[in-house]
Amino acid sequence: MEAYQEEYLSNVREMLSYTARVKPAGRPFEEYFAQMEKNRRSAAEKAERNMEILREELFPTLDQLFEIGAEQRKALEDFAGQLLKSPEELDVGLSCQIHRALLSLARLEKDRAGIIRELYWLGIGWNYISNRLVGQELSQQQAYVSQMRLCFTEAAAYLKYYDEIEDSQTRGYVLRCRANMSLGAFKSQSTKIRMVKKTLQIMQDEEFRKKDPMLPWDAFLYATHQQMAASLSHAKEQDMTPQDVTDVMESVYVVFQRQIQEAAKKQMMLPARTLFRLYAVEYRCGLDTLTGLLTKMEELIDMADTADFSAEGMYALISLPAFYCQYLSDYPELIPKRREYIDGLYRKILAYVDSFPEEAENENLFLYLRQLAVTFVETETSVSYGKFLQRLLMRFLPDVYIHSRIVGRTAAALSGMILEEENQYFDDIEWIRAIREPDAKKQAVMKYAMECGLFHDTGKINFVQLYVRTGRQWLEEEYEMAKLHAEIGAAHLAARPSTCRFAEAARGHHSWYDGAHGYPDSYKRLECPARQMVDVIALADWLENRTDAVRHYVGEGKGLTEALEEALAQEGKRFSPLLTARLRDKKATEKIRQLFDEGRREACRILYEEESGKGLFHAL
Amino acid sequence: MQNIQDEYKEKNRGYLWTRQDADGCCRIVRADAEACTLIGRSWEQLRGLEAAQAAKGLETAVVELGEGYKLWILEPAGSRHQRLAELEHMNAVLEEALKEAEAANQAKSRFLSNMSHDIRTPMNAILGMTAIGLSHIDEKLRVQDCLQKIQTASTHLMSLVNDVLDMSRIDSGRMTLNEEVFSLADLVHDIAVIVRPQAGQKKQELLLEIGTVLEEDLIGDTLRLRQIMVNIINNAVKYTQEQGRIRVRFEEYMKETPAQEGGPGKSAQLWLHFVCEDNGMGMSAEFLERIFQPFERVQNTTASKIEGTGLGMSIVKKLVDNMKGSIRVESEEGRGSRFTVEIPFTAVGQQTTVRLPAGGSIAVAESMDSRAEQLLEYLRDGGLRPVRFTGGMETVMWMTEAQYEERMPCALLLGEQLHDLPVLEVASHVRQLAGRDFPILLVSEEDWPQLEYRALRAGVSAFVPCPLFKSRLLATLSELTMGESAEAEDYVDRHVDYSGYRVLLVEDNELNQEIAMELLEMTGVQAEAARDGAEAVRLFEEAPEGYYDLIFMDIQMPVMDGYEASRKIRALPKKDAQSVWIVAMTANAFAEDVRRSREAGMNEHLSKPVDPRRLQEILQKRLGQ
Repeated sequence: MEAYQEEYLSNVREMLSYTARVKPAGRPFEEYFAQMEKNRRSAAEKAERNMEILREELFPTLDQLFEIGAEQRKALEDFAGQLLKSPEELDVGLSCQIHRALLSLARLEKDRAGIIRELYWLGIGWNYISNRLVGQELSQQQAYVSQMRLCFTEAAAYLKYYDEIEDSQTRGYVLRCRANMSLGAFKSQSTKIRMVKKTLQIMQDEEFRKKDPMLPWDAFLYATHQQMAASLSHAKEQDMTPQDVTDVMESVYVVFQRQIQEAAKKQMMLPARTLFRLYAVEYRCGLDTLTGLLTKMEELIDMADTADFSAEGMYALISLPAFYCQYLSDYPELIPKRREYIDGLYRKILAYVDSFPEEAENENLFLYLRQLAVTFVETETSVSYGKFLQRLLMRFLPDVYIHSRIVGRTAAALSGMILEEENQYFDDIEWIRAIREPDAKKQAVMKYAMECGLFHDTGKINFVQLYVRTGRQWLEEEYEMAKLHAEIGAAHLAARPSTCRFAEAARGHHSWYDGAHGYPDSYKRLECPARQMVDVIALADWLENRTDAVRHYVGEGKGLTEALEEALAQEGKRFSPLLTARLRDKKATEKIRQLFDEGRREACRILYEEESGKGLFHAL
Repeated sequence: MQNIQDEYKEKNRGYLWTRQDADGCCRIVRADAEACTLIGRSWEQLRGLEAAQAAKGLETAVVELGEGYKLWILEPAGSRHQRLAELEHMNAVLEEALKEAEAANQAKSRFLSNMSHDIRTPMNAILGMTAIGLSHIDEKLRVQDCLQKIQTASTHLMSLVNDVLDMSRIDSGRMTLNEEVFSLADLVHDIAVIVRPQAGQKKQELLLEIGTVLEEDLIGDTLRLRQIMVNIINNAVKYTQEQGRIRVRFEEYMKETPAQEGGPGKSAQLWLHFVCEDNGMGMSAEFLERIFQPFERVQNTTASKIEGTGLGMSIVKKLVDNMKGSIRVESEEGRGSRFTVEIPFTAVGQQTTVRLPAGGSIAVAESMDSRAEQLLEYLRDGGLRPVRFTGGMETVMWMTEAQYEERMPCALLLGEQLHDLPVLEVASHVRQLAGRDFPILLVSEEDWPQLEYRALRAGVSAFVPCPLFKSRLLATLSELTMGESAEAEDYVDRHVDYSGYRVLLVEDNELNQEIAMELLEMTGVQAEAARDGAEAVRLFEEAPEGYYDLIFMDIQMPVMDGYEASRKIRALPKKDAQSVWIVAMTANAFAEDVRRSREAGMNEHLSKPVDPRRLQEILQKRLGQ
């Protein structure tokens, strides 16, 4: 690798240490706060330096890819590989950019091996990216899954010319691409299973094996069985035919047998993942009841070691509970009898996540946490969904938590000021209209504004990689993906009783008052009864983002005075004129200035308390 | 008295005038000749006789004349009954006439009532929303919302006025049909663009299908034909529930017409067959009998909320009749309706040939069987060898193999949907795989302006809209694969500078004048205004030669109308009086108005309200030369 590439990688790693949570470690708050601020600045500096590297070194190289020598090309390949390496996944977006450029070059040079190789790696990159949307609507995943699948499909087409391919490595890529064609979500689970089955046939085909005995056929075959076995966990019953279940069952047993052997060899217990797949297939085949399966899952979760932060440990303590809750969501009549278990389960998971060492954090952890957030079951006595989300924000996206808190406080202050002048301002919201007593109404509205602020960005939990682990400004497609946080956050908030009131604030906080720009399209301002509050959150959110000098992934920030002027210039366009009118009032702008000045410190203090074990959530 | 006598003279009646004496007897004081004849005595014999005695054996009727005088009406026995019968008959006739008059009056009242209601409703909206908009002038969104509602109401009002005008013209026999060449493909696409958004708003499934098309270029009144079809489809959209289904089919067939006496033998006539069926609320048998009567609308709670003038179907029927076609309606309440229209047309008969790589393969990716079958048929007709795929993955796999084996198809035709991947994602990947010059054609029902940005970005080379016409598809393919340009319509703004030109706008209505001036000034042209035809003639006469390059002339104006003003301008002894372009501006966009304006010496016709694009076209046509 070249020096700039090494530096880039090192900067990203260093930046990750700055964006990780800061533990009080017995320090007084001021020291803790100073450390937090220093880390933020350092992270921003690293990101800035990386931008310089990209602009001065990488992008010019990609522009003149034709002219670079083999050594430089090899270095690029290695660099892209390091950026993509799992489970660290230091910079998947940039890796895809490099592989895309290398693919174009290979196409122009009609370098078949190069085309196949780059298609494989680009496909892997898209696979990682689309994994960030696991559990979301198929339509939200589709663009990313499609790009992945098209890459693998094109490379897999060369299977027809398998004999003509000279080197084993390229043959290996072709076979792996064929297997990877079935990665990701499909409209029909049957299609996916049929595709994996076809791959299994190819992997077992003696003709193929004979042609290249050096390839790791058994590893390929086992990985394909694992893929088949995993396809059951995601499937809904009605999507699968009896033949599909039989095919999955066969693979589950293959994987199970292998795992038994490996466990015996290492004198370890069978991993929860393997056992769960076996239990699930038994249930699916009618060998067990759902109650039986749930009981077995509870046993697996209970047996899991809360100090095991390996992939298997995470699976048993986060992903398995997510599947457990998915079953309960599908059959809610089973919830009442398990209420006590669910309550304890979420507390256990939060404690586990809390104790998770920063250095062990990786994309798997975030994937499982996303799964858990998507399938969350809220009961009257369990940890509320709202508290669960806030805890995740504090733990993994402290910067977003701080921002949300400042937005909430600013929104509350603005709402209070508005209500003093116009008591019915928020009366389109039915429950607010019902409050007759002005003081009670003001208190209720301000509390609501604060909570809308706290929850408006919870969709970002699905994009920890983008918001916390991107060591540069976003690429266009990353920006497009980040936009999904509004809609995804809203959908999850709307689905739970304790948070449904805040869903529209999450959905609409990036929309424009005049509807000319902004996102998502699903937010229709004039149809939303909470639009006045959404307007307040949108303005507070924009002001806070605009004035943040060190939020590196979206560019440089501005001073509050300048931001306020900009907001006024967008009056009636981006922002409600009824709202921006308040920005002409010096009293209001001074209050915003004070909240922005003190907001970070105040939010950090809450984080400090929490991390010191004295916070609100500690008792959960 | 004399009048009564005259009136009844012919009726075989006699009259006696009597005066009552003190003893109560009525003695004859006068008798007419008929009375003398009926009684059989002379006047001298009758004078002073008692009337009752003299009139014995005759039928009598007595009319009190006052002051003791009476009129005795004498008739031969039995003739009174006859007379009564006659009177009764006359009464019946009169009653019938009265009923008819009352019905006509009621129809007129109903028409006025309907009209005033229908006009008042959008007017109320316009006035109300204007007031709301004005009171919230600083709130852009609120004002925008008001303006949108005003626009909707105005459009409705405009259509109402147009309908009434149409009805009036058709009824008075003043409607003439244009005979112009039109493309069925253009017509169908225009209709699709008009009706799709409305169906889309109601989330209805609107299927536009093309059956056998024998001739694409026809001769007829495309405006009226579109009016018929849009009216029928709009009704289907209106009276079909959300997520309902509307199927529209166009096809052509030849029908032999019997030989005319003295004319040539049997000849074949091309007929356009149009069917629109829906699964909406349908109509009762009783309503079906009245469907083509003006102001008749389905009356039920759901339908009463649907906007409409009740004139549409009546106009449709009259237009179809005028085109010598037929319309048939079948309907069942709660099940839906089916309208079938058949109209004869003359075909232009010119066939255009397109060059395509004969026998060349073409990849077709479309999962909808019905759509794919049509595509394949058209492509085979074009001499191509289509290879069909239903999914994006198999398409990419096949393309990769084709590229490797150096047997690339001449193009990839992407349809509406694929069973596994989004169409544009596949387009994007194939663009990378096959290179920048490989033709990728998209066939879609979506409106191109809405799709254009994403499609071009994905690497799509060209677009063919649905419903699919063979000529369009093959011409576009020819253009892409053989480099032949189909008659591409050039709507590109050439950025012509009109600032050196001067235009005279003749318009009496201040608001209209203001709007038109603004539109003209936006083009850079120097515009002057006149309030009526007389002022326009004066201004033109006084101006130096060649001062005005173009005159936009309103037709209905006080003092002097546009026709007269144009005639006077043309008659002026000035060199440019003959050459200056005069463009008629009128809301009367009918064929005979165009003819009248031409006869008055005008060059072009611009309908009101002024369409900025059409205005631009006229300026381009005249000044952009």
